[in-house]
Amino acid sequence: MQHMSTGERVLRGILIALALIFFLFPIFWIVLMSFQTNAQILRIPPSLFFSPTLENYTSLITGQLKTASGVLTLNFMQNLFNSFILSTASVALSLVLAVPAAYAFARYKFRFSEDIAFTLLSFKFAPPLLVLLPLTIYFQKIGLANTYFGLIWVYQLITLPLILWIVRGYFEDISPDIEHAYRIAGHSWAKTFFKISIPLARPGIAAAALLSFIFAWNNFVFALVLASADKQPVTVGALAFVTASGIQYGQIAAAAVISITPTLALALFAQRYLVEGLSLGAVKG
Amino acid sequence: MYDQERDLIAALAGHRIGRRDFMRRASQLGLGAAAMSGLMGQMASSALAADSSFDWKAHKGTTLKLLLNKHPYADAMIADLDAFKELTGMDVTYDVFPEDVYFDKVTAALSSSSSEYDALMTGAYQTWTYGPAGWLVDLNDYIQDSAKTAGTWDWDDVLPNLRASTSWSGVPGEALGGKGAKQWALPWAFELNSISYNKRIFDQQKLEVPKNLPDLMETAAKITKDVSGVYGIGVRGSRSWATIHPGFLSGYVNYGAKDFTVDGGSLKAAMNSPEAKTFTADWVKMIQESGPKNWSTYTWYQVGNDLGAGASGMIFDADILGYFQNNGDTKEKGNIGFHAFAANPDAKEPTPNVWIWSLAMSNFSTKKDAAWYFMQWATSKEHDLFGAVKKDMVNPVRQSVWDNDDFKTRIAQNAGYLEQFKASEPGAKIYFTPQPLFFDVTTAWAAMLQRLVAKELPVDEGLDQLVASIDDQMSQAGLQ
Repeated sequence: MQHMSTGERVLRGILIALALIFFLFPIFWIVLMSFQTNAQILRIPPSLFFSPTLENYTSLITGQLKTASGVLTLNFMQNLFNSFILSTASVALSLVLAVPAAYAFARYKFRFSEDIAFTLLSFKFAPPLLVLLPLTIYFQKIGLANTYFGLIWVYQLITLPLILWIVRGYFEDISPDIEHAYRIAGHSWAKTFFKISIPLARPGIAAAALLSFIFAWNNFVFALVLASADKQPVTVGALAFVTASGIQYGQIAAAAVISITPTLALALFAQRYLVEGLSLGAVKG
Repeated sequence: MYDQERDLIAALAGHRIGRRDFMRRASQLGLGAAAMSGLMGQMASSALAADSSFDWKAHKGTTLKLLLNKHPYADAMIADLDAFKELTGMDVTYDVFPEDVYFDKVTAALSSSSSEYDALMTGAYQTWTYGPAGWLVDLNDYIQDSAKTAGTWDWDDVLPNLRASTSWSGVPGEALGGKGAKQWALPWAFELNSISYNKRIFDQQKLEVPKNLPDLMETAAKITKDVSGVYGIGVRGSRSWATIHPGFLSGYVNYGAKDFTVDGGSLKAAMNSPEAKTFTADWVKMIQESGPKNWSTYTWYQVGNDLGAGASGMIFDADILGYFQNNGDTKEKGNIGFHAFAANPDAKEPTPNVWIWSLAMSNFSTKKDAAWYFMQWATSKEHDLFGAVKKDMVNPVRQSVWDNDDFKTRIAQNAGYLEQFKASEPGAKIYFTPQPLFFDVTTAWAAMLQRLVAKELPVDEGLDQLVASIDDQMSQAGLQ
C-alpha cells in the first residue's frame, strides 16, 4: 500500500471539503431558511446571522398560517401523511408482486418471459400524461377516482418495474446451486424461495425498495390528476406556499426539511444495503 | 350579547343604520376583527335574503364541490362561506390546488368530463379553450332568467369591460363581448397593469414618476446608475404567455400595435407592424439597460419580490402585485406608490391589458342550478364588498364597491392606487385577439423577446421571423 505524502493528504482533505460544501451547502441553506422570516430571507445581501424563529414549523404543524389579512389554513401535515401512505403501501404491494415475479424471470425460461418482462419495464418509458387521462375516465367509472387504493394501484407504474428489474438482476447473480442443494434435502419450492433465495437477495430487495420508495415519494402528477386535494402528496402540497400574494420561502424551506426527513432517515438506515445491492445488481459477469 | 349582535345585523341589513355606524357599534360591543368578519358575512346574507321575491333556499340540502386555485380571492371566499351556507341551506366542499399546477388539474377534470366539480376558478384566456370545447356552460341563459337570478344581483354593476372580456362567440378573431358572445365566466376579481414604484427611492433621488415609455427608460436608467444595488425597472421575461400579457402588451397596444389583423375570418400575425417594431425596440433596450440581470427567468414572483425587497425601483406589471408587496411581510411595506401609465407619449389614456380571475360552471355538473346560486352569491355586491374591505379581494369587479367609502378608505392607504385605477379603468380590458392558439402564440412571442434582449437578432429581423413562424402555425391550424 502506498503512503500518501502530507501534501497529498492536505490536498485530498481540501478536495473532499470542497465537494462536501458544494453538495451540502444548498441543504444547509434550506435548513437556515426554515428558521427565518420571509423578510430575513429576502434581505439584500443575504446574511448567515439572524434571530431564529420556529414560526414556519409551527404554522406547518398546526396548519394555521398567520398573514396580514387573517389566518389561513394549511394542509401540509395531511399531505405528508398522504405521501407516507401512498409510498409505503405502493412499495409494499410492489414487493409482494415483483419479488416472486423477478425470481421467476431470473430462474425459469418460459414462453414470452422476456416480452412480459420488457412490457413491465416499458411502463417506466410511458409519459405519465399519456396514460392519465384515459385512467381518469376509467377510474371515475369504476369508482376508484380519489381513493388511496386507486392511487396505490397507479403508483405500481413507478415502483413495480423498478423493483422487478433490480431484483431480477440480483437473483440472476446468485448461484442456483445453493437452492438446488436445499431442494435435494427435501424442502419444498416455496420454502426454498423464502428461506434461501429471499435472504440471499435481501440487499438487492432493500436497495430496490428504497429506490422505488424515493421515486414514489417524489411523484407529483398521478395524485394531482387522479385525486382531490385531500389525497395530495407533499410534492403538490409544498406548492401551496407559492401564491399570488407572495412566496412563503420560510415555510417552503421548513416543508422541504420535514418532507426530506423520512427519505433521508431511510437512506441513512439502508445505506449499506443500497450501495451493496445496487453495485451487485448492476455489475453482472 | 347575542341579541344585541343580531339586532345590529338586522339594523344594517334593513338599512336603518349605515356601515360606519355598524362598525362603531360593533366595536362598542367589544367585537374583535374575526368576529367582525363573521358579522359582515352574516350581514351580507341577511341583505341578500331581504330580496323576498327570490327563493335562496330553493336548493337547500344540496352539496356543491368547487375547484379553486390557492389565491387570496379563494381565501376571501372561504372566509365568508358560512354566510352562503346560512343563506341557502346548501353545503359547499372545495379542492384547492396551488397555482403552478391549477390549470393542469382543471384541464384534466374538464377534458375527462368529470362531474366531480360544479364550479371552478378560471382566467378569461383559458375560457377560449374550455368554452368552445363544450366544457363550460354559457351563463347568459342564467343571467337572463329572472326565475333563477336574484333581482338584487345586478349584473350591470360589474365593470362593462370585464363583462365583455369574459364573453366570446368562439369564432377566432371575433371581438370579445361582441354579437353572439357566450358568457363563459363571471368576473370575480382582476388586475390591470400600471406602474408600482418605490417612493422611498424616488424621494431620495428626487425623481418624478414616469408618464410614458421614453420617460420610463430614462428614469429606470438613472436609478440603475445612481442607486447602488438597485435596478430601474422590473418586468417579466420567462418563456411564457405570462411575459406578454402584463406590461408588455399594455404598452404595445398603447402604441397602436395589434397582435393580429383579422380579415374575413383569416388571422394574420402583426407583430412586425411599424408601431410594433418601434415599441418592441424601446422595450428591449429598456430591459438591456435597466432590467434585472437574469430577466429571462423573471415571472410574477421575481418581479414582485424585487419590488418588495427594494431591489428594483419600479415595476410595470399588475397593480395588485405592487399592492401585495405594499401590504405584505416585505422590507418595503408601505413604501410602494402607484401610477397610471400610458406608454405612448401621444396616447390620450392608458390601455392596460387585464387578467381576470373568474368563476365558471362545469358543463358536466349535475347540479347546475344550485351551482348558479353559488356563483351569484360569490359574485354578489355583498361578497365582493366583504372580500375587498375585510380580505385581499382586490381589484373588485363591481362599480358599487369602488364607490364604497369603506373600500376607498382602505385602498387610500396605498399611495396613488385609487387614482391610478380611475385613470386606467376606462381603457382596461383584454387586448389580445381571441383565438385557440393563444398560449402557443404568446409563448413563441416571449421566446423571441428573449432572443432580442440577448442580442441574438436585430429587433426588425426577429419580429419578421416571429410573424412568419406564427403565420405558419395559424395556417396549419386552418385559421388563415
